[in-house]
Amino acid sequence: MKFLNNMTLGQYVPVDSPVHAMDPRCKILATLFCLIGVFMVREPLGFALWCIFFAAVVSAAKIPVRLVLSTIRPVWILVAFTSVIHLFFTQGTPVFAWGMIRITHEGIIMAVRMGLRLMLLVMFAGMLTLTTSPTELADGLESLFSPFKRFGFPAHEMAMMMTIALRFIPTLLNETDRIMKAQIARGAELERGGPLRRLRAFVPVLVPLFVIVFQRADDLATAMEARNYTGGEGRTRMNPLEWSPRDSAALIFSLLFAIAAIALDGRFFTL
Amino acid sequence: MPIEVRDLVHVYHPGTPLQTKALDGVSFEAEKGKWVAIVGHTGSGKSTLAQHLNGLLIATEGTVKVDGLSVAAGDRTLRQVRQKVGLVFQYPEQQLFEETVFKEVSFGPRNWGFTPSEIEESVEKSLSIVGIGRELYDANPFRLSGGQKRRVAIASVLASGPDYLVLDEPTAGLDAQGRENFLALLTELRSIGKGVIHITHDMDLALGFADIVLVLDSGRSVLTGPPSLILGELLEREISGLVIPDLVRFAGRLRDIGLEVPLSWDPFIIADAVGRSFKR
Repeated sequence: MKFLNNMTLGQYVPVDSPVHAMDPRCKILATLFCLIGVFMVREPLGFALWCIFFAAVVSAAKIPVRLVLSTIRPVWILVAFTSVIHLFFTQGTPVFAWGMIRITHEGIIMAVRMGLRLMLLVMFAGMLTLTTSPTELADGLESLFSPFKRFGFPAHEMAMMMTIALRFIPTLLNETDRIMKAQIARGAELERGGPLRRLRAFVPVLVPLFVIVFQRADDLATAMEARNYTGGEGRTRMNPLEWSPRDSAALIFSLLFAIAAIALDGRFFTL
Repeated sequence: MPIEVRDLVHVYHPGTPLQTKALDGVSFEAEKGKWVAIVGHTGSGKSTLAQHLNGLLIATEGTVKVDGLSVAAGDRTLRQVRQKVGLVFQYPEQQLFEETVFKEVSFGPRNWGFTPSEIEESVEKSLSIVGIGRELYDANPFRLSGGQKRRVAIASVLASGPDYLVLDEPTAGLDAQGRENFLALLTELRSIGKGVIHITHDMDLALGFADIVLVLDSGRSVLTGPPSLILGELLEREISGLVIPDLVRFAGRLRDIGLEVPLSWDPFIIADAVGRSFKR
């Protein structure tokens, strides 16, 4: 019984592809353009353009389709719920009525639109984490946020915190597993009874876990200090980010594509 | 009736790219009042084996039986087995969570549904076995010294009244004195009829204290038997990652150059034998 082994965390898939090789800053910004673009389209043509673009990105990134689709898994309830709400509660011309339940023409359109939009948003964001390692992501964010340093925004510290948090997730999962087992060996029943009883049964796991987390934090702080860590000031990198002409091209292309998709969206065919 | 492990196989993450065979056909027995040492280097599967003995892991193939109860899926017998077999994890002091030592040690008995008077009796008994006095019953376990914490943690496993005690590297991180005391404690547990199953990488400890030694290598049991009987083979076979005690190697070398010395890990036996063969 390994209790916590079904968590897919840090879903980065390391393969050699042009998308993986892109500068993380470029990927973050391009993803941002795509997210805005997906939000702004309403009609079939717009969605079709985004689907084609997305398929092109996925095939260029050499990520298995199964993994891409699995990024929806954590939010599918939200997607389904949103679509169903729109399906039943949109006013308009009824196409189907049965007692209290009325489904309208507009409702069907809204349901498909919202479902598709949410799925595209999640999958685009998912592609970013599938093709960018957590460290690259943190470095990219740090670099993108560094202009705000002059207003007192702690860009380096934020990136460092993110990296540390991601680094310790597997460690802490292992610790949790070990403590759960130790308490089960002492007769704890973690999976019995109602929610309140389960919550209380978790105290013997949470208290030791907190103690361990604080100890680890303390140890890590000491280790960083022992290596003369003083924050971001004057710090250099082992793998400096390098912006290539290809990154500029990709970024400009995704920006133009987003503008085009929005502009063409309602031109030819509207629902 | 003893603990019986037959042809135990355990596969982690079956059917995924991470699939690994941690145990591959291990068999052994452990009895009450006996000390079994399971020895192997890191990754040899000894901790995995330990977790099978009280049903935290379930065998992929093969059987594990505790006093005739088979350790397999099924809630009822699993709980019975867990009460019979106490498992002390590595660094057990990290599992402490209660406000007082007394409450901490009574956690197990409460879970097993002991009556209040039984709880009090078992807590007092197990704390006295590990040498924690009454003055510490109301102390906060987090304020105790490292050695005391570990003893409280062991008492908290003993308090459930197990017949067998499985300990995973129980002497890790203890100083020489703490280690001595701890081994004396295990010897005492054996003498009051508990089955001790001691998991360690330290051949010295295993040879010096155990009744039976089981040597694991890459998930297979490569050597089983009483210390005096396995010594010869231990010297002849190279078992990866396992350090043969210097004294045993020393005795082996003396035999090679023609002295009549028994293979042993005990310095006095070797010294006496050397003395005798010189006098002759």
